[in-house]
Amino acid sequence: MKWLAIASAMVALAMLGMGVADEGRDASAPDGLRPGGTVGQSLPAPPMAGQSRESGREVLNYPEQPPVIPHNIRDYQVDLRSNRCLTCHSRENAVDAGAPMVSITHFMDRDKQVLAAVSPDRYFCTQCHVPQTDASPIVGNTFRTVDEVLTEALEREGGGQ
Amino acid sequence: MKLTRREFAKANALAVAAATAGMTAPAGASNLITNAELTRIAWNKAPCRFCGVGCSVMVGTYDGRIVATHGDNQAEVNRGLNCVKGYFLSKILYGEDRLRQPLLRKRNGVYDKDGDFEPVSWDEALDLMADKFKAAIREHGPESVAMLGSGQWTIWEGYAASKLFKAGLRSNNIDPNARHCMASAVFAFMRAFGSDEPMGVYDDIEHANAFVLWGSNMAEMHPVLWTRVTDRRLSRPDTRVAVLSTYEHRSFDLADIPMVMHPNADVVILNYIANHIIQSGRVDRDFVDSHTNFVRAVDDIGYGLRDEDPRQQAAANADDPNRWTEMSFDEFAEHVADFTLERAARESGVTESRLEQLAELYADPDVKVMSFWTMGVNQHTRGVWVNNLIYNLHLLTGKISEPGNSPFSLTGQPSACGTAREVGTFAHRLPADRVVTNPEHRRFAEEVWKLPEGTIPERVGFHAVEQSRRLRDGDIKVYWTQVCNNMQAGPNTQQETLPGWRNPEAFVIVSDIYPTVSAQSADLILPAAGWVEKEGAFGNSERRTQFFHQLVEAPGEARSDLWQLVEFSKRIRVDEVWPEALLERAPEYRDKTLFELLYANGQVDRFPLADMEEGYVNREAEDFGFYIQKGLFEEYARFGRGKGKDLDDFDVYHRVRGKRWPVVNGEETLWRYREGFDPYVQPGTGVQFYAKPDDRALIFAVPDEPAPERPDDDYPFWLCTGRVLEHWHTGSMTRRVPELHRAVPEALLYLHPEDAREQGIRRGSEVRVVSRRGEVRLRAETRGRVRPPRGLVYVPFFDANRLINNLVLDATDPISKQTDFKKCAVRLELVSLA
Amino acid sequence: MRRWLWRYWRLLTRPSLHFSLGFLTLGGFIAGVLFWGGFNTALEATNTQQFCVSCHEMERNPLQEMQDTIHYSNRSGVRAQCADCHVPHDWTHKMARKMEASKEVWGWVFGSIRTEEQFEAKRRVLAEREWARLKANDSLECRNCHEFEHMDFTQQSSRASRAHSTSLASGEATCIDCHKGIAHELPDMGPDFQAGSPGLPGVDSWVAHLERD
Repeated sequence: MKWLAIASAMVALAMLGMGVADEGRDASAPDGLRPGGTVGQSLPAPPMAGQSRESGREVLNYPEQPPVIPHNIRDYQVDLRSNRCLTCHSRENAVDAGAPMVSITHFMDRDKQVLAAVSPDRYFCTQCHVPQTDASPIVGNTFRTVDEVLTEALEREGGGQ
Repeated sequence: MKLTRREFAKANALAVAAATAGMTAPAGASNLITNAELTRIAWNKAPCRFCGVGCSVMVGTYDGRIVATHGDNQAEVNRGLNCVKGYFLSKILYGEDRLRQPLLRKRNGVYDKDGDFEPVSWDEALDLMADKFKAAIREHGPESVAMLGSGQWTIWEGYAASKLFKAGLRSNNIDPNARHCMASAVFAFMRAFGSDEPMGVYDDIEHANAFVLWGSNMAEMHPVLWTRVTDRRLSRPDTRVAVLSTYEHRSFDLADIPMVMHPNADVVILNYIANHIIQSGRVDRDFVDSHTNFVRAVDDIGYGLRDEDPRQQAAANADDPNRWTEMSFDEFAEHVADFTLERAARESGVTESRLEQLAELYADPDVKVMSFWTMGVNQHTRGVWVNNLIYNLHLLTGKISEPGNSPFSLTGQPSACGTAREVGTFAHRLPADRVVTNPEHRRFAEEVWKLPEGTIPERVGFHAVEQSRRLRDGDIKVYWTQVCNNMQAGPNTQQETLPGWRNPEAFVIVSDIYPTVSAQSADLILPAAGWVEKEGAFGNSERRTQFFHQLVEAPGEARSDLWQLVEFSKRIRVDEVWPEALLERAPEYRDKTLFELLYANGQVDRFPLADMEEGYVNREAEDFGFYIQKGLFEEYARFGRGKGKDLDDFDVYHRVRGKRWPVVNGEETLWRYREGFDPYVQPGTGVQFYAKPDDRALIFAVPDEPAPERPDDDYPFWLCTGRVLEHWHTGSMTRRVPELHRAVPEALLYLHPEDAREQGIRRGSEVRVVSRRGEVRLRAETRGRVRPPRGLVYVPFFDANRLINNLVLDATDPISKQTDFKKCAVRLELVSLA
Repeated sequence: MRRWLWRYWRLLTRPSLHFSLGFLTLGGFIAGVLFWGGFNTALEATNTQQFCVSCHEMERNPLQEMQDTIHYSNRSGVRAQCADCHVPHDWTHKMARKMEASKEVWGWVFGSIRTEEQFEAKRRVLAEREWARLKANDSLECRNCHEFEHMDFTQQSSRASRAHSTSLASGEATCIDCHKGIAHELPDMGPDFQAGSPGLPGVDSWVAHLERD
């Protein structure tokens, strides 16, 4: 009897589920950042992406792109009291630490006047520089650097002549 | 050495070939790109596509593609700086899955709500849309169609859409997603000052010596403005920064007075500070006596829930919450006297000493204080009240409308101010602070638009949350969204938004550049042009209007929202959507299309293509045969001129880095309402809140009322949602940028390590977060950038695979109808330990 | 009063009339063991994390910020408690430190550090005291776990192995010289706020983070 009750409850639940599907909630759709046809579902969460301890420095996409941070910054204190990043990337320490010095633009104030030290408006490094996890892209990106576009344009022209 | 183009090409081809083959090309060969003529990138200014700060960026284009972006040195807002999102703007348009052609759900060759998406032509898509709109209006009236737009619409897109709906289709059911963002700020501005948007400007930062953040994480959400605050704080060590939030975040890194308060305790704290100012005798009596009135707001106003909700029915003033009665200063003093320091500390959890330090920043006449706030205040069931309470402090002390003394409401979208607010794309608004409920305002708009009296409906349309409810109830039959992703951004997704959109009664159209979850849930997807793929204009948080040219072509058949709106309008005849009574008042319009009525009306089509600046493409103008952007802008600008919202001439904006309105005789205005800065202030008054009938701003007495849903035994945690620095809103653009995606690849559940320990959760555990409305699975983070106190968890909403708004209660501020995304009750269930 | 004291003195100094010498020796030994054991147990109890955080000012600040760090939460679960770094392990030094700690009990009873603000105000003084102590004892508590003898330089990054094989090996520098602010946040460095100035961690300390995580 008890089993019957449970079984019928399960059948009812399954029908309820079908009812939802019938409403067309999860109608098919192209994949985007989320797989198509899954908006009504609760997707499992994949494991947290890893923060690699040291990844190689990456070539910039264009000159004024802030370089991404090629290492882990766990526990790096950057606040009113202290700036851990500058212990290696400051002008004085960069060579000893084998770290790239913060760029010259960081020594300029709002009026482009060069200061003796890093300008206070550049103090919070992670507003522009971000570390990279090992997550792979969800969808690709077809951005091409100026060298690639330039070369293509020239090739096209060269081929035409 | 002079190189011919051919030699140059050959050398480069060689370098590429060498690189492909895994060889290093000889130095001479790979070192050749020094020919200035060939390597010249075209650089043009454009405001950033993301938040409301309105940074200007320089966009480098070459051969029809964006190849670089960097901060614009000439822009006053950011002086060459960008945040990490801004620096990666180059890549946002190049996601591999850009939508390139219209897609319609079909089965057996015809539209079917349960069908699969198939590519269709623009003609098929727009014809079907027109049929659906006409049928709905014919059978169910103009209230059965609705549109959700955006604070990311360009100014003319918002204007064209608003005009199409309010005048053409005669439905006020058009609202921007900015409803979710700063509607509370709008209502508080109108209540206190009679005119929307801040009196101050960003220059206040360089004049202030105290900053108070009320529910704002500027370090992540307005990063470039934060650099200006940081600059001020670090270069002037006597500057004080106070940060108040319900959890600890990155802005706390600069805080001298860090404060983590219990959710909903802000009303008590703000009333305490007013009390402190009065008790310590620091009210600026001259200012208060000559420039303000005191009023008592009605209380017990409900929570903007569905009418049948018991919490709504129990509220005495839920139907008419935006009212007040006059009171005296003494009565106000008596009202706030209940809010003692001891009570504020007890109810907020912030120590007395910190609250006192905070209060002194306002009370001390020698401190110039700037208050910043965003979603912590606006997305709040008492958001309008809290906005008003902040103004109270500035008005009581006279610290307003002058350099450094500035209550500053920040916005989250590039044109929340410029489009949603100034153009008035809200369901209750018309351009330049006008409203649909005011007959004079309607008449004025009808005159500008050359329409018969009675064209614009009087009733306030459905606001964003109401639209979702009406879709579910079957009242809205056709629904069009542009530049927004409400399936992910709106509250209570599984109970309201999704069932509404998938309601068989409804035909849902989504215009976007990518297949967002909204597009996935639609019936017709229209591929849009983004950012500099069209000519545009945005208005930022400090009233600055900024223009940009079209710099590249949109891919495939993608077209701008403006093009879509106008092309759609060609397919509907006036007599198909207007009632006979109205047609009789303007029989000449009977056979015209909405395009002729609204856009080819002798005003919008006034400027020929020859007026366009040479060297730039303009897809819409070329398609329609006139400089439509200029025509729309100049018609729109008539609403604000002479009303304190004056805009400069169209062409000026293409030359300058924006201008802050009111722009009178070519001069921008920095501090509104202050003599010497604002041309509208009558000489001799000093300060004049001229948008109010008696030139006086209002100081509001409001009580403390509880949140609609609070943690209990079943759902013991507060849930707060929000953003992260690297992703903007629903992440549809930023998550397609590889660097930004790798920086923050997924939304995490931020919680206190002790709460985690008690729940048996570790960092990295998979957790099911459950509310009364739905669930989401997330990985736990106990040591991230966000550090919640015990009893509160934080989840950002950018992640399409973790729709946190499944959980959020669709309670709104009853006055502004803005959703409270910051507090509801959830429980945590461990799925797997690792 | 004097009479009373005198009576007790006499009682204690008089030879025993009722108990055998054996009993007294054995009993004394057992009592000694019990007392010593009890004392040590009690002392050990003051070394546990619970004891440390039982003072409320400790809950909000030093422990919370330590919970984020590699010394508290890491791959293998080997972790340091407060006492591992702040209390010497050998008896003499431990006793000396415990005596010193009575001052902190005083501070707790009379509330010299009651609130977060008070803690922040004293953060630099407290930090400098710990740095000085560790400098003076050649980073003894660091070395209890991180033994120089057993460091495999080949497993360290080049910068770390360079620093450890030269300055640390020669005794010219000790652990704390470079590794400041790794378990707790650094205090405000005030007027000498400049990277590389005295008091700030050396340039190699961040490398250690890369090493361990």
